[in-house]
Amino acid sequence: MKDDQQQDTIDDHRQPARLRAVYDDIAAHFSETRAYPWPEVETFLDSVSGGAVGLDLGCGNGRHTELLDTVVKRAVGCDVSRGLLHEAMTKMTENNWEGQLLHGNAATLPLDADTVDVGVYVATLHHLPDKETRVESLRELSRVLSASGRALVSAWSTAHDRFNADADAKTGFETTVDWTLPGGETVPRFYYIYTPTEFERDLEASGLAVDDSFVSSGNCYATVRATANRQ
Amino acid sequence: MDEDLMDILCCPLDKHELELDVDERDDEEILTGTLTCTECGEVYPIEDGIPNMLPPDMREEAPA
Repeated sequence: MKDDQQQDTIDDHRQPARLRAVYDDIAAHFSETRAYPWPEVETFLDSVSGGAVGLDLGCGNGRHTELLDTVVKRAVGCDVSRGLLHEAMTKMTENNWEGQLLHGNAATLPLDADTVDVGVYVATLHHLPDKETRVESLRELSRVLSASGRALVSAWSTAHDRFNADADAKTGFETTVDWTLPGGETVPRFYYIYTPTEFERDLEASGLAVDDSFVSSGNCYATVRATANRQ
Repeated sequence: MDEDLMDILCCPLDKHELELDVDERDDEEILTGTLTCTECGEVYPIEDGIPNMLPPDMREEAPA
């Protein structure tokens, strides 16, 4: 049965419109399982000195936008799935926090340059369809970060237990990972699984300056700044 | 969306300024309207208080 559902090729799954439709479909259930912020994000937000604008890129149901709202004046959550943005809007009302939500694409950000003081870009980069788009998205993050702005970026890593991958390999791999809905239906989602080396290489290729990088809970993480010498 | 978000919003394609047209608002909150790029003329709709800033080629309904 599973094979029948997965006749689509990886090229079908990598289409941004496909990924968006998948998250729109699973939004309600996905959101239920995303109640708490990640400790890595909490640690990062504890380390920043705040600012005027915070951006949660790939905000999903807004669990990190809510936290971001406690350290910046204006927290902006951006996601490609309108279904997830509606989940975020509901949570905002329930939990009484204030953020601005944007329906947008991580590789073409609708924000002015030098405006973001604190960025959170976690568990999203790995959904972008190809290397060029992923690096472009990181370049966009660099563009919108203010001179003193800092961001936390994460992506799923080959070091994760679920993959039988060589974490020391030069490049990662493309795959689909199933989301299982309560009724048992599985929905494949496109992922690019990064090796820590390639993750850093893509960050550097984008022009971001990497302050720190580490692997935690099967994810590659980096804290980054916009480069000082950009045009 | 709050109107003061206009301070930092731009066209996702060419990064130029946007012009806001409000159809429906609730105090400071804009519920429906449009954002039009002052350079390329692309129109981005605001629906349910959330601006749709996806580039036009990503806006079409996807195959489920």
